[in-house]
Amino acid sequence: MGNLLEHMGVEKDRIHFSWISSAEATKFVDVVKEISDKVRALGPNTKLKKIYS
Amino acid sequence: MKYCIDPSICLKLLKDKCGTCEEVCPTNAIDYSQTETELTIQAGSVIFAPGFKPFDPSRFDNYQYANYANVVTSMEFERILSATGPTGGHVTTLPKLPAKPKKKADKLLAEKRKDPKKIAWFQCVGSRDINKCDNAYCSSVCCMYAVKEAVIAKEHAGDDLECSIFFMDMRTPGKEFEKYYENAKSSYGINFIRSRVHSVTEDPDSLDLNINYVDEFGQMVSDTYDMIVLSIGLEIPDETREFAKKIGIDISEGGFAKTSSFEPVSTSRDGIHVAGVFNSPKDIPESVLDANAAASAAGDSLSHVRDTLTQVPEKVEEINVVGERPRIGVFICDCGSNIKGVVDCEAVTEYAKSLPYVDFAYESMFACSQDAQDKMVEYIKEKNLNRIVVAACTPKTHEPLFQETLSNSGLNKYLFEMTNIRNHNSWVHKNNPDIATQKAKDLVRMAVAKSALAEPLAEEKINLNDTIMVVGGGIAGLSAAKSLAMQGYETHIIEKKDILGGEARKIYKTAQGESVQDELDKLIDSVITNDNIKVHLNTTLDSVDGFVGNFRSTLTENGQPIELEYGAAVLATGAKGYEPTEYGYGSDDRIMTSLGLDALFVESSEKLDAVKSAVFIQCVGSREPDRPYCSRVCCTHSIDNAIELKERNPETDVYILYRDIRAYGERELLYKKARELGVIFIRYSTDDKPVVQVEKETLTIKVTDHVLGKPLEIEADLLTLASALIPRRDEQLANFFKVPLNDEGFFVEKHAKLGPAEFATDGVYVCGSGHYPKPLNEAVTQGRASASRLLTLLAKKDSLFTSGTIATIDFENCCSCGVCISICPYSAPDFQNEGRFAGKADINPVLCKGCGLCVASCRSGAIHLRGFDTNQILTQIFALDEVV
Amino acid sequence: MSENNVKIVSFLCNWCSYGAADLAGVSRLEYPADIRVIRIPCSGRMSPKFILSALREGADAVWVSG
Repeated sequence: MGNLLEHMGVEKDRIHFSWISSAEATKFVDVVKEISDKVRALGPNTKLKKIYS
Repeated sequence: MKYCIDPSICLKLLKDKCGTCEEVCPTNAIDYSQTETELTIQAGSVIFAPGFKPFDPSRFDNYQYANYANVVTSMEFERILSATGPTGGHVTTLPKLPAKPKKKADKLLAEKRKDPKKIAWFQCVGSRDINKCDNAYCSSVCCMYAVKEAVIAKEHAGDDLECSIFFMDMRTPGKEFEKYYENAKSSYGINFIRSRVHSVTEDPDSLDLNINYVDEFGQMVSDTYDMIVLSIGLEIPDETREFAKKIGIDISEGGFAKTSSFEPVSTSRDGIHVAGVFNSPKDIPESVLDANAAASAAGDSLSHVRDTLTQVPEKVEEINVVGERPRIGVFICDCGSNIKGVVDCEAVTEYAKSLPYVDFAYESMFACSQDAQDKMVEYIKEKNLNRIVVAACTPKTHEPLFQETLSNSGLNKYLFEMTNIRNHNSWVHKNNPDIATQKAKDLVRMAVAKSALAEPLAEEKINLNDTIMVVGGGIAGLSAAKSLAMQGYETHIIEKKDILGGEARKIYKTAQGESVQDELDKLIDSVITNDNIKVHLNTTLDSVDGFVGNFRSTLTENGQPIELEYGAAVLATGAKGYEPTEYGYGSDDRIMTSLGLDALFVESSEKLDAVKSAVFIQCVGSREPDRPYCSRVCCTHSIDNAIELKERNPETDVYILYRDIRAYGERELLYKKARELGVIFIRYSTDDKPVVQVEKETLTIKVTDHVLGKPLEIEADLLTLASALIPRRDEQLANFFKVPLNDEGFFVEKHAKLGPAEFATDGVYVCGSGHYPKPLNEAVTQGRASASRLLTLLAKKDSLFTSGTIATIDFENCCSCGVCISICPYSAPDFQNEGRFAGKADINPVLCKGCGLCVASCRSGAIHLRGFDTNQILTQIFALDEVV
Repeated sequence: MSENNVKIVSFLCNWCSYGAADLAGVSRLEYPADIRVIRIPCSGRMSPKFILSALREGADAVWVSG
C-alpha cells in the first residue's frame, strides 16, 4: 500500500500502520506524536486531494 | 461506587455548619437526613470474601519504615510505578513527599530528591516470620510481585538502575512465572541475593540507606542503596477474625478460613463459602478461580429454587423505522466537568443542530445517569426520533447502557451511535480547549453522518443444547461434572482409561493430611450415582464439529462408535508424572518417584520398615531448560512424605535436596514442622547437581553442602525423585476445539489473570493440571470454577443471541471464490450445499465475530458488515472534509 | 489548512488501539489533537479503498492501528 501510494506521488509518511495493545496507552501517545510530527513536517496533503470545481 | 459522608467528622452533622457539599452538588444527591439503617436479607447461601490487609511494617524497628524516607512498602512502590500515581510513573526517591511541597521543611528535604541508581527489595516482610510477627505462613505473592516491580522499575528508569532482591527462597510456582523470573535475571540483569538483611541505617545527609548482610558464602557485606522496598505480606485483619468467630466459621492460626482439600471453598459452617485471600494467601487468577468455585458451591445447594425470584423486565415493542427519513437525536454529555471543563459543549450542541437530518440536540450533565436516560426515552417519543447519537465517553463501557435505553423506548438498539469526546478528546487535549471543541464538532459530525445510514439489525437466537461433555475423569473433571449435574444439567464424562480418578489414584495424602483414596472414592461414588451424569470409560474422542451451544462429536466407547450432541465442553485432561532419565532412575528399585513412594505408603509396604536413611531430590525435570516451569506440587509433596517417614520412624534420617523450597501459603507450616522433626534440607545449585552412585548395599548421594560449601556423601536406602508434572500435549484435542497450547504443552486460558477457567473459544472451558500443574485442592477449585463459568452460559439458554454487527453475504454478487472461507479465523463462512444459492458462500451468524476480514477480502464486494458497512465508514471519511 | 492543523484519519481496532486510546484518556496523557478516530471492529476490516478515499477527501495522512 505504501509503495503504491508512493508510486502515485503520495509521500510514504502519509500512511502509517501500527499495532498497539489496549494496555499500551503510552505507546499509543508516542505513536500519535511521531505520526503527527512527521505529517506536520510534510505539510498539508495536496497530491491526491479531490479538487472542487 | 458512590460517595458517602463520614458522620464522625462532618461539620454539618456534628455542628450544623458548612453544608458546602449540598450547595455544590449538581445533582442534589446530598441528603443529610439519611442515617444508618439495618437491612435484613434472606439468603440461601453466603459467600465470604473479605480479603486481606497489607502487612504494616512500622512495628519493625530494624527496617525503620516509619522513620526513613526512602524505605517504602511494595504497595507504595506499585503506586510509584503507576502512570496515574503520585510521581506519574517516574521512579524517584523520597516518594512520600508531595510532588510540589508547600511546607518549608519538606521543601528542604525535596532538594535531596534524586533518580535512584540502586534499589533493593527485602522479601518476607511480615511473612514466614514468627520472630518479629506471628505470621508463620508464606504470603505466596510477594516473590513474583517483587520480580515484576524490579523489571518495571528498570523499564521505567533504564539500564542505569541496579535492582537487587534479597530473598530466602524464590517462590515463583505460578503459570509462566518461572520463565519471567529467569528472564528477569538474564535479560534485565536483576540481582538475586539469597540473604535476609538484618538492619538498615540511614545516612543523615544524603538519606542513602546502608545495609549489612551475610552473603551465600558466609561473608559479611556492606552496601548502600538509594531506596529499599519492603515486600510486605498479606494479613487477615482482626476485624475479619472476629467476624469469622461471630458467624461461626473455623479459622487457622494465620487467620485463614479452614477448608478441606475436596471442598476447598466451603467453610466449616454449612452454606457459608469463601473466596480469595481469606481462604489462603493467593494471586489474582487463584482468587478469580476461588470466586467462580464459590459461586458453583453456593449454586449447587440452591439449584432447586433457581429462577424462583426472577423478575422479567417489560419488553417494549420495537418500532419499525425502515424507509423513514432519518430523524437524528444528538445527546452531548458534559460528564460533569470532565468534558465541559475543556470542550464548549453548548457550542457543540448548537453545531449538532445544524447538521443534516438532526432534528434534536440536547446537552446533559451526565448522559448516563438514570434521570438523563429517562429523559432520553421521553425525547425519543416526543420528537419521534429514529436514530440516536451520544457524544460522551467510550462506547466500550457505555454503549450497552445506551442501547438498552433505545430498546426501552422502542428503537432497535443498532440505531445508536456513540462518539468519544472524553477519553479521546477532553482528557487528552485539556490545554487546548479551542482545538478540543473543534475536534468534538468533527467527531459529532462524523458520528451523525454514520448514524444516518444506520439500519435496524436483527439478532438471531442461538439454540443452546444444555448437555455438557467433560473430557477427562480426574479430580478436576469429576468436580466440574458433579457441580454441573447437581445444578440439573446432563453431563457426560469421557475417560480414556477404564477407571475414574486420574492421577489422584496414585496419591497417598493431601497437604492437609486427608486420605486421598477415601475422599476420591466418595467423590466417584457421588458422581456415578448421580442420574444426570453418564460416565463413558475406555472412550476416545474422534471428532468435534459445531460451535457454542451446538457441538457434535463422534466417540469410540469400548470399540463402538457413538454420537454425542452437547452445548459446551470442559477440557480436564490433566498432566502426568515425568519418568526421570536422571539420578539412576530405573536402575535400582530403591530409586523411585514421589508417586512411587506414595504407592508404598498406600499399600503400607514392608519395604518402608527397613528404611534407615531416605533422600529426596527436588526439581527433577522441572525448572530445566527443556521444561522451564515449576511443577508447583513437588516441594510440598516431598515435605509431606518426609514428615510421614519421620512419623513412622523418628530414627530415620531424612534429607531433602532442593533448589528453592516453594511451600507457598500455609504449606510453609509443613516446612517448619519437617525441620522441627529433624528433616535435613540441603540446597544444591544447577551447576553442581547431586550425584547418585548405586551400590549393592546402599545408594550414595553426593551433594555440596550449601552452608559449609563442602562436599557431603549421604548413604541412603531410599531415594525419591520429585519428578515434574508434564502436560499431555494433546494437539489433536486442541485442534478439535480450536484452543491454544503454550510452548510446554499446557492449555492457554482466555486470560491469564481474569479468565483462568475458560478458553477464548466460546463454550469451551478448562480445569485441572492440563492448564498448569496444581495440587488437589486447586484442581477441585478450578473444576468447580469451570462449571461455574459454564453455568453462566447455560443460564442464558433462552436469551442467547448473536451479535447484530456481523457479516452477511449478498448471494447475487458472490462469485464462489472461497477467499472468505479460507481467511476467516472463526470458520464462519462456508459454501451452501443446497437451495437456490447452492455453491455460494454463506456466513454462520453464531460463529461470526464481526471482525470484517472477509468483507475486506471479498473481491466481488458481496459481503457487508452490518453496523460497520463500507458506506458507513466512507461517510465518516467524507464528513471529515466538510468545511466548518 | 495550515501547517499547524493537519488531519490524520485514524482507523483504530475496537479491541486494541481504541482501548489504548481510551486508556490514554483515563491516564490523562496528552497528545496532538490531529487525529480523527474511526472505530472499526478489527484491523481486518480495513480496505485500501478507505485509505485512498481518506486522502482524496483531504486527509493529510492515514493511520491504521490494530
